[in-house]
Amino acid sequence: MASDDFHRAALEHLDALYNFAMYLTRNPPEADDLVQETYLRAFRFSHRFQPGTHLRAWLFQILRNTFLTFYRLRERESALAEDGVPAWDAPMFHDAPEESSGAVEAHTDLERALRRLPEEFRTVLLLAEVEGMALEDVARVLACPVGTVKSRIFRAKERLRGLLRDYTKE
Amino acid sequence: MSNHSPESDDALGARLRTELRRYTAPAYLRGSVGEAAEPPRVRPAWFAPSLAAAAMALVLGLVWIQFLPRILPADPTERLVRSVVAEHTRALMWGARRPEVVPTALPWLTQESGIGLTKFFVGDDRLMFVGAEPVYLEGRRGMALYYRDGDGHLVTYIVLPAPGLPIPESRRVQIQNRWRPALMSDGGFSAWVWRQGDLACFIVSDMVSESDVEHFKDYFARLRVSTEPVAAN
Repeated sequence: MASDDFHRAALEHLDALYNFAMYLTRNPPEADDLVQETYLRAFRFSHRFQPGTHLRAWLFQILRNTFLTFYRLRERESALAEDGVPAWDAPMFHDAPEESSGAVEAHTDLERALRRLPEEFRTVLLLAEVEGMALEDVARVLACPVGTVKSRIFRAKERLRGLLRDYTKE
Repeated sequence: MSNHSPESDDALGARLRTELRRYTAPAYLRGSVGEAAEPPRVRPAWFAPSLAAAAMALVLGLVWIQFLPRILPADPTERLVRSVVAEHTRALMWGARRPEVVPTALPWLTQESGIGLTKFFVGDDRLMFVGAEPVYLEGRRGMALYYRDGDGHLVTYIVLPAPGLPIPESRRVQIQNRWRPALMSDGGFSAWVWRQGDLACFIVSDMVSESDVEHFKDYFARLRVSTEPVAAN
């Protein structure tokens, strides 16, 4: 793919990537940074993109990996500083932390419930249900087998339903 | 799928698609990402050699500029101050050409310079006498006395015949309610300038800061009190 064509095709997914970044970071400035970093990486490593494969999934994969590298690490470091638990002891499917200052407020119970999900569950629902990605593409973004994606979607919805039920009781 | 839950998987999926807010990338983000997508501007092939040539020309210009003749000041006092400062700089860098011990060599110095000293400052705890020598500046024979202070500053006292040399009033500084020499500067050096009869006297040093000038005033007073030059002819 020619460089100009690649750039044009990549920019078509800007809104979708920004939406995903907002649900991951819950903070507009951080979402901005995350999307910018994603595009910088994508442009820098555009030669690694295999034409014919799904550009959208590739971009989402870069964004999520960037998020995990920088933002998740920071989140865990702050958790370590607060409660003294080493990062490698933090549970893989821990609940998302409460909203920090500067975060965008949740308007609906559904948004609140989604925010409470661990990142792995939130991401799988956003990609599969909100973005309407095929399971194979979701598996590529998450770097896991399709079976794992199906399992995570099932468990994510179970957890989401539980949270929504709690909100209804309140 | 879970049949026991009040909301089916499909219904929950539909809610996620329809009820969740959809965030749109702000315009500035679109702009900055778009700029990042633009290929870097390729500089023309001649750019680097031209830049190097310009830099080389600048360096050569800076090297040669110091050899260009300096414009001489029209004011005779400033011109003399410049010569006196040049003599001080020469002594600072290479020492006196032929330092003599005064008063042993005073007769010879007087003969060579045309300046006699009825009394002169031999140094004290603050200023150490280094030497004396005849000088020839701006077509005038004169005498230079060199001192060094405790901080290592070279202090040069020069006397030249200069009848009627104007002392700029605006530069005059009052010292101990007795003297009003002019404080002038040239090339980063300070110089006291005053007249004693038909002789022009100068004291030069590199003491230019505010605190240095106070010391420099003190040196003027020490030299002025103890040194009395006269024209020998």
